[in-house]
Amino acid sequence: MTKEQIACEEALRQIVEYVDHELGAHEHLLMEQHLRTCKSCFSRMEFERRLKEKTGTLCEDEVASSPLSERIKSLLKSF
Amino acid sequence: MAVSRKVFEDQVLGLLGCLQGVARRLTRNDADAEDLVAETVARAWRALDSLKSEAAFRAWIFRILNNTFISDMRRAGARPRLESIECEDEDAEAGDFSIFEQMHQPFLLWFSNPEQAFLDKLLREDLDRALAALPDCYRVVVILSDLEEFSYSEIAATLQIPIGTVRSRLARARSALQKVLWQQAQTYGFKRAGAPVRDCDAFEANAREAGKTARAAENEGGA
Repeated sequence: MTKEQIACEEALRQIVEYVDHELGAHEHLLMEQHLRTCKSCFSRMEFERRLKEKTGTLCEDEVASSPLSERIKSLLKSF
Repeated sequence: MAVSRKVFEDQVLGLLGCLQGVARRLTRNDADAEDLVAETVARAWRALDSLKSEAAFRAWIFRILNNTFISDMRRAGARPRLESIECEDEDAEAGDFSIFEQMHQPFLLWFSNPEQAFLDKLLREDLDRALAALPDCYRVVVILSDLEEFSYSEIAATLQIPIGTVRSRLARARSALQKVLWQQAQTYGFKRAGAPVRDCDAFEANAREAGKTARAAENEGGA
């Protein structure tokens, strides 16, 4: 726990990087502390996190088209 | 060689749906997507010695897919259908739009949560349409980051841009995506809340005010 704190403006600027797990250890800690005490920023972070998660599942369960499957199978045979 | 021919084939066929899905979203064209996947598989086979382990297969073949896409685009730079991936004229104002800020109603926190309701309602088709509407330079970073789960440094290496540019471009890309999704939200009947709340003090003040109003309403009802 650090006594250093960040304001909402700073937290909002870093939300994308926080959600992307790209903040450095110190910045991450400050962000976590802020999110524990600020409902507004926490709600915003949750929204961004869920939207990213939804985008990330776009290709989930997608099945390749038959023409591509056939094309790749015959390509693999040719190797 | 880290993996056998059999493992290579099994991995390719197992990932084919996902490779095609990412390729389709990168190229926005079914025929180009199929060509891209076929070229990726051919290049991957030729580069099999560079694969370190079977566990690294997914990231490795997606890296080849991205590199193939990027080099195809650079080679075909003048193709009218494709905008530049170089983002030469990035809009400095573009990184500041947030659906959350449009919808969030802190004073209704305990009774309603419109932005989360919107996410619940949001369909895969809605997101796909919004992603397809983005310029190439934004769409590609979102795909690399969110669909392929590449880190900022991996995206920087793939696109040959500084990591700071990845950071700012992703922020702008997410903002642009939300601008398009906001149009969708409005067709679902979601409306803009009041003025955006950007700091905790304003949030708490609104919440206190909402509490007072609710108590007053209760007292009136009870009287």
